[in-house]
Amino acid sequence: MTHRSVEVPVIARVEGEGALHIKVEDEKITDLRLEIYEPPRFFEAFLVGRHYSEVPDVVARICGICPVAYQMSAAHGLERLFDVQLPPGTRELRRILYCGEYIESHVLHIFLLAAPDFLGYDDAIQLAADKPDIVKMALEMKRIGNDIMATIGGREIHPVSARVGGFSKAPRPKDLQAFLPRLEWALAQMPAIADLVGSIPKPPFDRPAEMVSMVHPDEYPLNEGGLASTEGKSFDSTTFEEVTKELHVEHSNALHSLMVGTDTPYFVGPLARVNLNVDRLTPVARECLPRTGLSLPEPDPFFSMAARVVETAVAIEEAIRLISAYEPPEPSMAEVTPKAGRAMWVTEAPRGILYHRYDVNEDGTIREAKIVPPTAQNFEHMEADLRQFLPGVLDRPDEELTRLCEMVVRNYDPCISCATHFLRLEIER
Amino acid sequence: MREASSALHASDGVEVIEAGPASKVLDLLDGADVVVLVDAVRTSGGGRQPGELVRAEAGPSGLPAAIGSSLSSHGFGVADAVALAATLGRMPRVVFLGIEAAGVTTGQGLSPEVEATLPQLVARIVTESAALAEDREP
Repeated sequence: MTHRSVEVPVIARVEGEGALHIKVEDEKITDLRLEIYEPPRFFEAFLVGRHYSEVPDVVARICGICPVAYQMSAAHGLERLFDVQLPPGTRELRRILYCGEYIESHVLHIFLLAAPDFLGYDDAIQLAADKPDIVKMALEMKRIGNDIMATIGGREIHPVSARVGGFSKAPRPKDLQAFLPRLEWALAQMPAIADLVGSIPKPPFDRPAEMVSMVHPDEYPLNEGGLASTEGKSFDSTTFEEVTKELHVEHSNALHSLMVGTDTPYFVGPLARVNLNVDRLTPVARECLPRTGLSLPEPDPFFSMAARVVETAVAIEEAIRLISAYEPPEPSMAEVTPKAGRAMWVTEAPRGILYHRYDVNEDGTIREAKIVPPTAQNFEHMEADLRQFLPGVLDRPDEELTRLCEMVVRNYDPCISCATHFLRLEIER
Repeated sequence: MREASSALHASDGVEVIEAGPASKVLDLLDGADVVVLVDAVRTSGGGRQPGELVRAEAGPSGLPAAIGSSLSSHGFGVADAVALAATLGRMPRVVFLGIEAAGVTTGQGLSPEVEATLPQLVARIVTESAALAEDREP
């Protein structure tokens, strides 16, 4: 009887803390657990009793990489419940802000978290030692995203200006127009980046999957739209909790998601979005698509990096388009009168669909909150992927096998802190 | 940091910045001559007492391994940021000052050991920054 095990006590190059436990006996997987041991943070609990106006500030703190996503899902849902008329220009400004977040988040993942694996380096430091120009370019590009977020949000991490009703303060046109030369530079880098990613060999992984993303009639969806799946489902934020469900898994502090009825996993994120929104790609993004090696439909998660490259181009192009036409919303914020009821909304965070639901009292305080982050929705699928991927690579030596398993998880760019809504600093080796 | 802040703001050319993700640390390293990084550490396998002050200077490849491995390991940690800056040749002088944490769990407040050492750390931050600021004056 042969026993093999893959033990990764702390998965590297993912945000947050999780471990991987795999046992294989005589070519059969006897144990496979993606153990999320970051303790739950209880954000949903301590939102209870708070005034709706505090919600964007509080939920932004769930994540340091994607705070805008949390603010947007929260604000839009509450605004719809309260019948808020957003000042013209607000939705455009919010879209630019989200583009900034996409650039920052995707570039970080592509170059510092994922690329080292695909290019054969142990980590980003080694990659930087060998190819400093690529890393410097990536850091400069990432900084553009961060700077856009700081200019619109008032602060880079946990933007302060996003409010239910709009913005506490909107930037002046010239402050945003200053980004145009940098964005044009970034756009010019995209075809070469697409070629680089397209030239990298990927482990083959052919398996069917149900992918879910937002869809919109006119634009690449970020803040608005309905929901669709590659299995033909069509729903929206008001039916999200009927179509999907969360379940408690013994070995994880994060909830896992399944489709109601079939009890099957699904995944969300850049690959899902590109698959379901190919007709909404912007020109350079469309040009980059085949260069990254992506040919749709494509459910293979090893193409997630390619999808992120395509989306980075979309974000840059949309930012250029919107900034060129930008006029500050006047007033920057609408009058808001709270109403009792249920607020629900979905936006596309860089990692996928982010669902927020708030039950609001007459006085505008929160009675109950439910937040379903993209990474939690992907956990079940990550484990399913590992289960299907492993048999094909059991012939590899332990170290390579371990790295491949970690790559399967890293494809999803998991934000474990979001999924458990917590940040823990203890490291055990 | 707040306590050290007021003393530091009085000094010329010293900027106090609260940095979140490590990627932000990377940007900050880029613009500085000297950086004093302050953080909690948790040395695995014991070796340090809770409340113990830690000081280390970054070398050509970043922070010493012992410090590096005891800082938070997110997708891209503070130690990685320093190492990356070093690798890209964008390293200022980096001095690390820290306190060994007793434990990091949910809950409020500092452990008594850390609380006791805090004034020492604050004083150290101020004197270290002042000395480094003077050092780099032409």
